[in-house]
Amino acid sequence: MSLLQLIARRLLQLIGVLAGISLVTFLLVHMAPGDPARLLAGERASAETIAAIRSQYGLDLPLWRQFLTYLVNLLSGDIGQSLRFQRPVSQLIEQFMWPTLFLTVYVICLAIPPTVALAILGARRPGGIADQIIRLVGIAGLTIPVFWLGIMMSRFFGVSLGWFPVSGYGTGFTGHLHHLFLPAMSTAIWLVPVLTQSLRAALIEKTTADFVTAARAQGATERQIFWQTMLPNAVLPTLNLLGVMVAFMIGGAVIVETVYAVPGLGTLMVNALLGRDYYVVQGLTLVFAVSTVLITLLVDLLTAFIDPRVRF
Amino acid sequence: MADTPVLAQIAPPARRITPTMPVALAILFGWLMVALTAPLIAPYDPDAIDIVNMLSPPGAAHWFGTDQVGRDVFSRVLYASRVDLLLCFAGVLPPLLIGTTIGLLSGYFGGVVDNVFMRIYDLTVAFPFFVLVLAIVGVLGPGLLNFILALALVGWVSYARLVRAQVLTIRESEYIQAAKCLGYPPRAILSHHVLPNAVGPVIAYAVSDAVLVMLAGASFGFLGLGAQPPLAEWGVMIADGQAFVQQAWWICLFPGLAAISLGLGFALLGDGLGQIQRRGVTA
Amino acid sequence: MNGLETGKPPLLEVKDLSVSFGDFEAVKTVSFTLQPGEILGIVGESGSGKSVTCRAVMRLLTGAARAQGKVALDGQDLLALGEEELCAIRGRDIGMIFQNPASHLDPLRRIGQQVAAPMIRHLGLGRREGLRRAVKLLEDVGIREPEKRARSYPHEFSGGMKQRAMIAAAIGCQPKLLIADEPTTALDVTVQARILQLLKELNRKTGLAMILISHDLGVVADICSHVVVMRNGEVVEQGPIDDVINRPRHAYTKLLIDSQPGRKTYGTADRPDRGAPLLEVENLSVSFSSGKGLFGGLAGNSNSFRALDGVDLTINAGETVGIVGESGSGKSTLARSIIRLNTPSGGAIRLDGQDVGALGGEALTAFRRRVQMVFQNPYDSLNPRLTIAEAVAEPIWRHGLADRKAAQKEADALLEMVELPRSLRDRKPRQLSGGQCQRVGLARALALKPQLLIADEITSALDVTTQAQILELLVKLQRERSLTLLYISHDLSVVSSFCQRVYVFKAGRIVEEGVARQVLSTPQDPYTQALVGSLARLPSLQTTPSAEPVSIHAT
Repeated sequence: MSLLQLIARRLLQLIGVLAGISLVTFLLVHMAPGDPARLLAGERASAETIAAIRSQYGLDLPLWRQFLTYLVNLLSGDIGQSLRFQRPVSQLIEQFMWPTLFLTVYVICLAIPPTVALAILGARRPGGIADQIIRLVGIAGLTIPVFWLGIMMSRFFGVSLGWFPVSGYGTGFTGHLHHLFLPAMSTAIWLVPVLTQSLRAALIEKTTADFVTAARAQGATERQIFWQTMLPNAVLPTLNLLGVMVAFMIGGAVIVETVYAVPGLGTLMVNALLGRDYYVVQGLTLVFAVSTVLITLLVDLLTAFIDPRVRF
Repeated sequence: MADTPVLAQIAPPARRITPTMPVALAILFGWLMVALTAPLIAPYDPDAIDIVNMLSPPGAAHWFGTDQVGRDVFSRVLYASRVDLLLCFAGVLPPLLIGTTIGLLSGYFGGVVDNVFMRIYDLTVAFPFFVLVLAIVGVLGPGLLNFILALALVGWVSYARLVRAQVLTIRESEYIQAAKCLGYPPRAILSHHVLPNAVGPVIAYAVSDAVLVMLAGASFGFLGLGAQPPLAEWGVMIADGQAFVQQAWWICLFPGLAAISLGLGFALLGDGLGQIQRRGVTA
Repeated sequence: MNGLETGKPPLLEVKDLSVSFGDFEAVKTVSFTLQPGEILGIVGESGSGKSVTCRAVMRLLTGAARAQGKVALDGQDLLALGEEELCAIRGRDIGMIFQNPASHLDPLRRIGQQVAAPMIRHLGLGRREGLRRAVKLLEDVGIREPEKRARSYPHEFSGGMKQRAMIAAAIGCQPKLLIADEPTTALDVTVQARILQLLKELNRKTGLAMILISHDLGVVADICSHVVVMRNGEVVEQGPIDDVINRPRHAYTKLLIDSQPGRKTYGTADRPDRGAPLLEVENLSVSFSSGKGLFGGLAGNSNSFRALDGVDLTINAGETVGIVGESGSGKSTLARSIIRLNTPSGGAIRLDGQDVGALGGEALTAFRRRVQMVFQNPYDSLNPRLTIAEAVAEPIWRHGLADRKAAQKEADALLEMVELPRSLRDRKPRQLSGGQCQRVGLARALALKPQLLIADEITSALDVTTQAQILELLVKLQRERSLTLLYISHDLSVVSSFCQRVYVFKAGRIVEEGVARQVLSTPQDPYTQALVGSLARLPSLQTTPSAEPVSIHAT
């Protein structure tokens, strides 16, 4: 199968998954306990207001009709209306998405170099002292609550030392870099151990791989073997994991942004949740899911580009 | 084929436990004892407000200091372990049981059940785990019970996926074919031959998952969507202390360290179990 | 030895080579020499240290291994070389090919690049020149359309083609010595014969010296002039191939020669054909669909693969019938269909005239007791969590033939019957050898006292001496329990020494059937002829009087 056919097949699958995602986000609000109209109107609303909302939002229609309306709206780019801001959710997302995007890319840039370095250091002598330390520190790193780390770092680096601002997004590229350093760092500290574990395991697995022995038997030096044979083969599983992790990071962003008061999608989500702004929650969930699916697709295509076996 | 791989002869003899496992078990046992005996060993009532001694730093009277309303942080950390430990079990067990059952059936029988499951799986992984749990809790309303419910609703899928993958390989193994050929009933094959061989990696995963569940639980407490104040829970305590972190770092520090140590217990145990699993496969 | 006789300096001299992993000595003071242009065979069973020896010569062992002694290539001691000098010799002066070509090729790089890599590295060629030579080499090792194939990836190659590519990569720099570690073991017999032919030609045309490591004495005898026999890390015997095979001095060599498939004829082959048809297979077809999930099915056409295509065969009561075929011939699909692990797409299987496919409930249970199977992989066919006594007792109590306690007693008797010592009964499969596991598999299959026993490649994962023992056991059991046997194997010589009638399978069809010995001596179908032709037989087979049936047990 050629790369183009693979892309075509994946895009076809994508349509199915997108349909599923919209169904889930739709049901999220409509299957919630209680009357959605009452939830939308708020606790103190009168009966007339509720009735008005019900007909305004089409909540008196059968469920499948409502879903159809929802789908049609989605296709025309309308993912709902915020009750609190009285603005389309898409506008809100457009306004809040940049800090989150910036933060995500920032985290990846901060996380990848130490990941590669530590994994190589550990895999060079599996079971050696360096390897054991990296492994244990990695395990410990996984258990740190990100929000706690954020608070502690902002107190130490932000308040005590005064090196970095502890909240906000700043202005301009360098301002963003400066303001988002602590949030990005807190996330990276949690991300690096996960990725290191994966890359290290993959590297160690490849050191004993038969084709590495064969390359050695053909006179390749250890350096050539590492860069030309082992690393490309070991990167594949880590690449997949990175895809999964970006999805996790979107979740992590919710917490980190809250701690550092970054005006991003995570903060928007938490405020919407606490303020019971359901259509914002629905719209954000949809956007998060769609971006996860797209990232996964990207990772899959990248994998197929590296690995000829996937394009069978 | 005829010759065993050279490496098989070189591999060191498999140890049954890894060196870190006793440490892990000691940590977990320690926290279990603390949770069980919290009322006996806690020096103060965790909810007793003492305005006079508010925000007092760690010292002889209050080992971990007091918070903004004068509650003893040490006592609260001890009491909170009951909530967080319970959270780990309640957050892991339902997905484990549901997921294992569905994965077993889906992997072994295949067909429509499997197809439906795989679609559900594709759909679930399309959502960032944390966001989906967040959204469900948001809709159901904040609270520990709703958090555990949302976790069960989303979490079973990864267990099912793991078990299914195990079962798919086991199903093709010759001892299952032999069992079918010997006319064992499917129920016996599943419970006696498939499950015992599939369950190892799942247990290892579940133990590691306990770390994630605890962190998620604490995060939800922190965001105000999980355990509700004034209930002592590590995440809630950290959230409480955040506003005062400049004057009183101890309110945040100690609950965090407690969470890390419990997490370390689960993570090291899960890591050890995972290593034993992998060795078992290669040995 | 040889070197002293001719007076020429040897190409490779291995003297007192010992290799240890910690406390375990894998190779103990091994010595041998290799002349330029010679092919030396190293033969031995698993754990004999033959692969470790050769990896020690190439210095390919991991850090845990300690090698002592002397390995001299053209007088240069390889064990004393530094990493850099070693890299200059590996692939340049010594080439190596391996048992499993599939896992020894880098899955991410094109075949042409991989063949060219050693030449670019050692001969200082440019990429373009390297690729040009790689194409030429691929042509030399018999790969058709080499230009196109050089751009393929390993997974697009068949097993035989992968091994050819490995050979091409190994000989690109025109090394003095080629080490071939079980180069044909993972391949089908007809492919094996062609690869061996290629190696022989290389040796004849270019004078390339070789060390061929194999568990198969037949393969070694086919192309080597000298042979080293190893066991438990030691050399038990060495010398010119004819001397060793015709006048073996060491008891182990004798055992090895006697265990070669086809050396013995087992008593069964001469029993007269009698009894009514027990199992009839009529026009059986089995297809597997290779659909790719819900959406794949919509996008592409779901094509199906026919594993069996209109197969007819009959097995009479008390008979031993053999089925021979290479991988993908459908022989295992047939076995799985008979025990209802596959659903046929057409045709019928009848046991005593009853349609097997229509059985259900009690009748199916009764069928299970009458037809049993032993599987190929000794370790995989036993549940790793059960002790062997539990595994053998399980069918007895599950079928309600006895309570659990009585079933345990019966299991002990069965284990004794397959000649397993009582002390092993509480062991798990992983604590047993492959041969012992196969005995457990036999005992378990016989626990229900079946009439028909299907044996699917039950010795293909075992050493030759173990294989001979299992076959003897099978013959004994068959006689004692008047079993009907369906014996499935890729090895025509085993089948014909063991069975009365044989069916030859190719690509899901029967191409030839008949009395076993006739099929072996006068094959009719071209494919069977190729199969017979590719049997690696010991040169002395025709001269020894073993054509007479050697009955091991008094009948």
